[in-house]
Amino acid sequence: MITKIIKRDGRTVPFAIEKIADAIYKAAQATGGRDYSVSMDLAQKVVAEIENKNIEVPSVEQIQDMVEHVLIENGHARTAKEFILYRAERSRVREMNTRLMKVYQGLTFVDAKENDIKRENANIDGDTAMGTMLKYGSEGAKQFNELFVLNPEHARAHREGDIHIHDLDFLTLTTTCCQIDIIKLFDGGFSTGHGFLREPNDITSYSALACIAIQSNQNDQHGGQSIPNFDYGMAKGVKKTYRKLYRRNLAKALELCCDVADAPDAVKRMMAEIERDAGISPILANDNGYQEREAQALEKLGLTAEQIEKCQSFALRRANIETDSTTYQAMEALVHNLNTMHSRAGAQIPFSSINYGTDTSPEGRMVIKNVLLATEAGLGNGETPIFPIHIFKVKEGVNYNPGDPNYDLFKLSFRVSAKRLFPNYSFMDAPFNKQYYKEGDPNTEVAYMGCRTRVIGNVYDPSCEVTGGRGNLSFTSVNLPRLAIKAHGNIDMFFEDLDRKIDLVINQLLERFEIQAKRRVRNYPFLMGQGIWLDSDKLDIDDEVREVIKHGTLTLGFIGLAETLKSLIGVHHGESVEAQNLGLEIIGHMRKRMDQATDKYHLNFSLIATPAEGLSGRFVRMDRERYGVIPGVTDRAYYTNSFHIPVYFPISAFDKIKLEAPYHALTNGGHISYVEMDGDPLQNLEAFEAVIRCMKESGVGYGSVNHPVDRDPVCGYTGVIGDTCPRCGRHDGEGVDPEVLKKLKGYSKFVRPAYDENELEEPDKLTNPIE
Amino acid sequence: MAEEKKLVGEGVKFERIRRITGYLVGTLDRFNDAKRAEVEDRVKHSLGTGKGELEKVG
Repeated sequence: MITKIIKRDGRTVPFAIEKIADAIYKAAQATGGRDYSVSMDLAQKVVAEIENKNIEVPSVEQIQDMVEHVLIENGHARTAKEFILYRAERSRVREMNTRLMKVYQGLTFVDAKENDIKRENANIDGDTAMGTMLKYGSEGAKQFNELFVLNPEHARAHREGDIHIHDLDFLTLTTTCCQIDIIKLFDGGFSTGHGFLREPNDITSYSALACIAIQSNQNDQHGGQSIPNFDYGMAKGVKKTYRKLYRRNLAKALELCCDVADAPDAVKRMMAEIERDAGISPILANDNGYQEREAQALEKLGLTAEQIEKCQSFALRRANIETDSTTYQAMEALVHNLNTMHSRAGAQIPFSSINYGTDTSPEGRMVIKNVLLATEAGLGNGETPIFPIHIFKVKEGVNYNPGDPNYDLFKLSFRVSAKRLFPNYSFMDAPFNKQYYKEGDPNTEVAYMGCRTRVIGNVYDPSCEVTGGRGNLSFTSVNLPRLAIKAHGNIDMFFEDLDRKIDLVINQLLERFEIQAKRRVRNYPFLMGQGIWLDSDKLDIDDEVREVIKHGTLTLGFIGLAETLKSLIGVHHGESVEAQNLGLEIIGHMRKRMDQATDKYHLNFSLIATPAEGLSGRFVRMDRERYGVIPGVTDRAYYTNSFHIPVYFPISAFDKIKLEAPYHALTNGGHISYVEMDGDPLQNLEAFEAVIRCMKESGVGYGSVNHPVDRDPVCGYTGVIGDTCPRCGRHDGEGVDPEVLKKLKGYSKFVRPAYDENELEEPDKLTNPIE
Repeated sequence: MAEEKKLVGEGVKFERIRRITGYLVGTLDRFNDAKRAEVEDRVKHSLGTGKGELEKVG
């Protein structure tokens, strides 16, 4: 007589025959069974068989083996099959739990140095408390979603490495990224959920609030946060600061030189009157007739023409200088803030990007100049800022050619990027960007988010083909090299298989959209609650976000075009024209499929050149296990990023740009091309400019120049460091005599970088301002 | 016996900032294994000479 059984965890518990009957009944139900008494009879047979074998305290496994045996023996084959499937599924869940616990164990007891999961994302310090807590949550959510939320077909494709569902941990929670229109956000003030912030009144608060907006939105989404109109937005703050500083300085001048009683109030009243009557106030350009109007008002106060001229020119001069330095400080604070606030889940600084370069107003130009100079100066000890990502928007007639109003700032950007790796460059004249551009409407200038995401076209609402308030909803990448390996050189077979994978990804993106669409405004208190996302201001707090998120994009991505071509025809697109043509055919086909899906579902499907970080190693690791080491395909630790020419392949910068450019036109969901420049590009700014101009002329959408930026924290040297520091002479990790440091020119002295338009014309004369 | 000199900066490593999938990272220590391998494989793109040297353009 069985009275006890041994559970999987080793505990002994009282035996209950109903549990066996229930399990059999569940399996029978799945095949249409309705009679519980049959299940009970079978359960009794199971018990009898076990007793026959003289097992007094059976284990769960022994009982389940016997259930299978009894079901088959008694002709219940279909029920037996269901039961076996159920057992397999349960044991997979158990195995996953064990795997998850192993992951947790690694996160808890192993240093990031030894644990690849902790270094999956280089911007998280996996060794800190919040960094580890973030990974616990993320790893747990990934497994939960894979097991219980995802369609099993999609889960399997993801698990086996046919596709990669990005940000799976956030599957049920939120969308990827957003382009924050700060002009709209600041207009009238906004709330962060913990208090209301008034509309800012000077550039200092504009920059502080821009950081707060990025930080607040970052906690509503898992991807990057971008400001598409940074110069236009901040210019409004500069305008307010200038007006305030002009007023103060005029009051000072009047008080000091002309004994005007109660000058601050008198000036305030006078300015208010002029604004009321003529609708004008002091502006940086000083071309709106304000000065003349003010002169008349001052005359009425009894001032002589000479006094008026003196006071006005003092106020103009001082307001200009002080507005400039206040703007510099505001930009410096922004860069510092965006590099120090670990407010993304407590473990990361927000992924921030700012786009600028096209505002030609004096205020906008002042913003662009100072944000560049603040970045050039670096952080407190001269460190290179990691965030925000700067994107300089290049546009003919605005900043591209000598004589364009912002050409001087374009030139300045080379010096900054040659030293600090930012800005990157986006090209408004690339045909696929230009088609949306409407002169005078910055909201139609294409912006880029974070590492490369691009959102502009809008089939859902063609009247809103704009950057502000939109972003990517989710994206999933296809393992292209595997499709090639499986096709064994048969290109038709490759395309057929690719089509099946694209169908799968479209379905998966749609199912994920359905989950996202059911979320409500209250699930995104800032993104939706404060009207950041386009049209979310028309919704109530408990409304579904379904309609408004249709402004976003659903995106297919890919990795390893180079390895794919290697596998299919033996060469990649850097090596042969044939490969380049096939590469364009493959990526062109993927784009066509996205366009077709866009028409069919009336949603914005797009194609992205995936920014693979964790993924770069994941697919190739699995493929090497399956198919072995294939030269040029699976023989490295990573698959080549998206459509890039492999990083190891020797090629000239200009050839690389020309080969990669056509893929930019195809990847409407985002793209980037890099050039690795040798040596210190600060010493050769013409070459730097030539590379950027080549990108523009070749039709690249977004690009940047990589070069080594090394820094010795001991003496503060920034530049290329080989084995020894060129400045203080120490080796890595070695100590240095403090007397040597003291003798170094400019050691530990902070110098604000110089900006002189004349100096910029002769880049060779420029030296590193920190040195 | 020579008097031991007091040195500064012992154990302080050089920072090496690199771009990884669009983001900058201040230390190679935080790169995952695959990306670290990729960074090590990166070659410079020549500007005109075809020999990997930086040549003046224009």
